[in-house]
Amino acid sequence: MTPGPLGQVGLVLALSFALLGLLLAGYAWWARDGRYVEAAKRAALFSLLGALVAFFALEWALLTDDFSIVYTAKNHSTKSPTWVKFATLWAALEGSILLWATFQALYTWLAARRLRDYWMAPGVLAVLFGIQVFFFAVMLFVTNPFLPVPNPPTEGPGPNPLLQNHWMMAVHPVLMYLGFVGISVPFAYAVAAMLARRYQTWIATTRWWTIVAFGFLTLAIFAGAWWSYEVLGWGGYWGWDPVENASFIPWLLLAAFLHTALVQERKGLFKPWNFAFITLAFAATVFGTFLTRSGVVQSVHAFTEGAVGPVFLGFLLLVLFVGFGLLSRVGSEVRDVGGVELLSREGLLLGGALVFSTMAFVVVLGTLYPLFVEAFTGDKVSVGAPFFNSVFAPLGAVLLFLMGAAPVLPWGRVDAWARRAFLWMLAGLVLGLAAALALGATVGVALGVGLFLYNLVSAGAQVGRAVAARRRQGWGAALLGYLTQGRRHFGAQVVHAGVALAALAIVFSQAYRVDVQKTLNIGETAKLAGIEVRLGRLHAFDEGYRFVVEAVVEAKGIGTFRPRLNYYKTMNAPLAAPSVRYGPTENYYFILQAFDQDAGKWATLRLVLTPMVYWLWVAGGVIAFGLFYMLLPLGRSRRSVPGGEVAA
Amino acid sequence: MKRLWPFLFLLGLGLVFAQTPTGQPPPDLDPEVFKIANQLRCPVCQGESAGESNAGVSQEMRRQIAEMLKEGKSEEAIKRYFVERYGEWILYAPPKRGINWLLWAAPALGLLLIGFGLWRYLAEARRREAELGLSPEELRALEAELEEE
Amino acid sequence: MKLSRLVWLFVILFLGWLFYWGLHRNPGELKSVLVGRPAPDFTLPPLPPFREAYGETFRLADYLGKTPIVLNFWASWCYPACYEEAPILEAAWERHKGEVLFLGINTQDKEEKALEFVRRFGLTFPNLYDPRGKVGIDYGMYGVPETFFIDREGIVRYRHAGAIDAGTLEKRIQEVLR
Repeated sequence: MTPGPLGQVGLVLALSFALLGLLLAGYAWWARDGRYVEAAKRAALFSLLGALVAFFALEWALLTDDFSIVYTAKNHSTKSPTWVKFATLWAALEGSILLWATFQALYTWLAARRLRDYWMAPGVLAVLFGIQVFFFAVMLFVTNPFLPVPNPPTEGPGPNPLLQNHWMMAVHPVLMYLGFVGISVPFAYAVAAMLARRYQTWIATTRWWTIVAFGFLTLAIFAGAWWSYEVLGWGGYWGWDPVENASFIPWLLLAAFLHTALVQERKGLFKPWNFAFITLAFAATVFGTFLTRSGVVQSVHAFTEGAVGPVFLGFLLLVLFVGFGLLSRVGSEVRDVGGVELLSREGLLLGGALVFSTMAFVVVLGTLYPLFVEAFTGDKVSVGAPFFNSVFAPLGAVLLFLMGAAPVLPWGRVDAWARRAFLWMLAGLVLGLAAALALGATVGVALGVGLFLYNLVSAGAQVGRAVAARRRQGWGAALLGYLTQGRRHFGAQVVHAGVALAALAIVFSQAYRVDVQKTLNIGETAKLAGIEVRLGRLHAFDEGYRFVVEAVVEAKGIGTFRPRLNYYKTMNAPLAAPSVRYGPTENYYFILQAFDQDAGKWATLRLVLTPMVYWLWVAGGVIAFGLFYMLLPLGRSRRSVPGGEVAA
Repeated sequence: MKRLWPFLFLLGLGLVFAQTPTGQPPPDLDPEVFKIANQLRCPVCQGESAGESNAGVSQEMRRQIAEMLKEGKSEEAIKRYFVERYGEWILYAPPKRGINWLLWAAPALGLLLIGFGLWRYLAEARRREAELGLSPEELRALEAELEEE
Repeated sequence: MKLSRLVWLFVILFLGWLFYWGLHRNPGELKSVLVGRPAPDFTLPPLPPFREAYGETFRLADYLGKTPIVLNFWASWCYPACYEEAPILEAAWERHKGEVLFLGINTQDKEEKALEFVRRFGLTFPNLYDPRGKVGIDYGMYGVPETFFIDREGIVRYRHAGAIDAGTLEKRIQEVLR
């Protein structure tokens, strides 16, 4: 048994059982027979096993340097370090789809296990299996990595060197796909709810899944930003590249959804909107995978195209049509009843959802605008960071303002406590604004500082109040009680604080970024952006799969930096690996731009100063921690569901 | 099969030519150069700015920007210089003219459209509440009954 | 609301059409803004083998408006495209010597490598040396190789991006000869 046939077997098994599951779920729905749901759940397990067999087979081929299948022949090299060999599975198109499909099988199985509501089960399983069938069919018939190669070579080109530079390559795509694929579960529930006309309970049931998907997506975006910053050598963490945007759109829509879902849980309002948000979020993930693999837009992230573009386009259109059809019916049948005061928690939550969806709209329009213009006028335009940054600044400010205010207000009205708390928050805002302006900051930066303090006060006030509400037990017990029983509340405060910190870091790193480039001779000292820098020496060494030229740079008062240029055999020119050091407020980032190839006497260094980027990573950790905290299963948490408790 | 130019493919990773071919070191560049270069697109890359990219063309663009700044040219003039050669595509933010207003108005447009939908929805929901005359608790209880089964 | 439903349907169909159209065109292609405009002038040193015939410096203005010109940007590291088209260009030069001026510009390259290239393909049309790539930027170059066709009034008629084949080359030459 060799990897090739084993992989094919795995794919066939995965596809067959997914198809079987789909049919069983469909029949269960039609015959209203719960036993077929059980059978479908079992099919989920076998489909997952098939996927795992295929995954294992591809890893087997990679780790044993087996070039007899087309994927290894095109993408693998015997000289790669082991972790690179492992990650090569998702470094190229076919393998990345296998990773996606395997995660889909995993999520389907996990969702099947947690299914308790038999009214929804057939719909949920049918949708999940449907998606699974699509991906495995694409794997088997369009982008099969296991196709045999007639005369297997003994060596291959290896994965794209850009992906070998750092271990984050092993982490970021995995997180991203876990996030993307995770959205399929709440989407499946939404479709099932729309089909079964059970418009309310799905919100509570899917809360856990939505937060899991959102959490992975958040982690993946931060991981990508970190990788971009530390590894890719241009001193930035987000480029508004079309594929980056494609991961941001579902994040924004999920964020909108998480907040309007709260309103639906509490007051039963926004049912059609919630269905729409989750449908669009899922459609956005399919859109993202289409963009990345079709070659429709130019992107640094794009895979080399295959025939997969039209197939994904077809799937995207299918999802949009089915979603639209169901949403039309919901729109005409669901008649929400209730009032919303503008100045109340639900009012501001809606304001926040409005801003999130506007942000998503802007990103979609900005990403597609060049395509749109080219189709109609034949001209080419570019839409990049300058546009997005200038447009997101005001939207972000409004969002930060709402983020602090909404949780402070009670449902339905404004009360005295909220008024007092808001005054304190305003005080924080004004204080931050004034202090920053006094220290010479621009208005934008000062506003950022003010909003940061404003949000800290908001979070602090809410935590304080929640703990104080239990103080009869004694402060210690009150705190403990809050942390264990108020997980959702505390988690939310932590997440919001993290977002506020991230916003502050972004504002500072954008406003005060300085790039400067200078050539130094060995031993020479010069001032770069006010910092005394000395070029120590230049040396080169061979690491087997790449050749490295490194400069040793001493920055007075800061430390030693070792930026390098990595030369890979398959690339005409080197990749820069920057040397980064984080301080409490300032970050130092050295790139070896060029060096004297003849005599090794000089090196051109670029220094990038981006303040507060370190705090951006801290913020990511804080947000992740907050989300994780909300998911902790520490006993039963009280959920506010209209009509009483409903089993998950 | 589309013609794949190896140059473009390699430069697609945007990090070609850290070396100047003449063996001379690249010029020293001030922060102002990068501020402008970051708003221009690298012509040979797959989506990088002239500030980020290390392609030979980007290096030359930065050198030219530095020279033009030394001559006292304004940022607008420098951008116009490159637009004359590459078209508006070289700018990373489309100029606010003609059809591009659709793009720049996107946030306002989004807020208006979605806000309008939101307002219509809320007005309807409020109208129905007034019509039904049920209290919110009665409503919740009725809805829960529908979903119990 | 019937109208809003139609609007959404239209949006989805429009997006579908837009993406479908997008799949079938090359996102990397760029139209030259120079087409229909006078060719930018430049002064460059010829590579050593051509200095005898063309002097120490070559000024385009000396030939602009007097003869049609085929201007080709190339580099030794541009493999395989420049290597494919070099013999085609040389052959066309031999055919049209006297009626069309063929001009090669070696861009962003090392002089020894450029000389090696010229020797390898036995190029006899004048080749100039532009290590900085300044002229490339003046011509809105976004990849190598690129070939510009300039008519006898000095107006750029056409820009071909990528390796050029014999058929297209001949066709465009005929256009600028008119």
